[in-house]
Amino acid sequence: MIKALAFGQYRFKNSLVHKLDSRVKLLFVVILSILIFLINDGKRSLFFSLFILVVVLLSKIEFKNILNNLKPFYLMLVFIFLMYLIFSRNKLAQGFIAIWRFLMLIIMSFVLTYTTTISSLIAAVESLAKPLKFFRVKPRNAALMISIAIRFVPVMFINLSRAREAMASRLADFRKFRHIKLMIFSLLGRMLKSASALSDALHSRLYNENAENHKILRLSRYDYLSLLVFIVFVFVIY
Amino acid sequence: MIKSKNLYFKYEDNFVLKNINLYIEEGSFTAIIGANGSGKTTLAKHFNALLLPAKGDVLVDGINTKHDELNARKKVGFVFQNFEDQLIHSIVEEDIAFGLENLGLEKNEIIGIANKTLDKLKIIHLTKNNVNMLSQGQKQLVALAGVLAMKPKCIVFDEPTTMLDVRNKNNILDIINNLNKKDDMTIILVTNVLDDVKYAENVIVLKNGTIIFNGEKSRLNSKILKGAGLSD
Repeated sequence: MIKALAFGQYRFKNSLVHKLDSRVKLLFVVILSILIFLINDGKRSLFFSLFILVVVLLSKIEFKNILNNLKPFYLMLVFIFLMYLIFSRNKLAQGFIAIWRFLMLIIMSFVLTYTTTISSLIAAVESLAKPLKFFRVKPRNAALMISIAIRFVPVMFINLSRAREAMASRLADFRKFRHIKLMIFSLLGRMLKSASALSDALHSRLYNENAENHKILRLSRYDYLSLLVFIVFVFVIY
Repeated sequence: MIKSKNLYFKYEDNFVLKNINLYIEEGSFTAIIGANGSGKTTLAKHFNALLLPAKGDVLVDGINTKHDELNARKKVGFVFQNFEDQLIHSIVEEDIAFGLENLGLEKNEIIGIANKTLDKLKIIHLTKNNVNMLSQGQKQLVALAGVLAMKPKCIVFDEPTTMLDVRNKNNILDIINNLNKKDDMTIILVTNVLDDVKYAENVIVLKNGTIIFNGEKSRLNSKILKGAGLSD
């Protein structure tokens, strides 16, 4: 689990989608995520699904990977379906649309993280958030927050495992609420200590919220071409 | 390079550093030793302006840390005891670039410097690796690379060998020594392990927040070490 969290989902492939600028991909996912909630009929949802299928094929993602990625959500999808079946049988078609939307959102986010490195995504967030400067929001702060979260989620799991092992070695019983509470406090203590050290590290390494990300993002002909195709797709579907 | 004058520092009401006066010469290798709780790390953090004196002054290359923290920090890098907390980004190259971005360097220049630094520390093969998957020894070298890339005149190492096995311990001590001897970098090594002091020229011994010895390593004797709680 830690390995998966630490590595993220990115896999290097020589595909058209991998070659696209991270800002363009992020923008596509945001627009598609909004667009999907405006689709209520079978014909347009089929067209949308075909578009996503083409993107998946272009990304050279194996279907096995997509199915594996969907595994944790199967129960939730069944639950949504059952809720519609029990409480709104007359709106079952809407239930299918809700499940379909959910599936599409997961697949789209998977394609994004499979074809884009975390650092490129952060650079994209930093770049796309630039207009927020007018509202005195510093894009570098937002990007740093994301980066630190990604960096420290595995560390949190390691700390949790250490706290659990330390308690288990002294015969803790995790069915007791008191022991779970102690483990959580121990984890919080460790994380606060790490946060304090991290704050020192940021100062020590001269953190400057006005500095720019070193990644050079440039739009290529693939990006312009994909933008054109995307605009046509949005126009047709809407 | 670094001068402290009548330095006092307190946590809440307890003075943990009392009347510290010292001078660390440019290009020298100084070890600060003392038992746990003697104030070593607190003192070292003053050199990087992470802590500011309650009384007295710390001057880094003539810059008073109270007046200009940022420029003082540019002169002195700091490698933390728990280097795990020092790594900010998940990918090695990104982490090295972090400090360089803060210095405002050109985008094209940053990757070049990052690669050069990783190459110098013989960890260029880790460039694209995830820091969470590295060994302790590798993590420490990446933390050092992040500091080294910023080209400080002096580096403070806070207990650099605590979390390492013998091989990695000797490796990091050799690297530190080379930075001093080959690159003329001022080195301050904070430790409570006497073996780590082998390459240092000068030693400062702390006890309960005061200096009980400051001089050449050859003048250090067992009586002083015993007094500092560093030997039986």
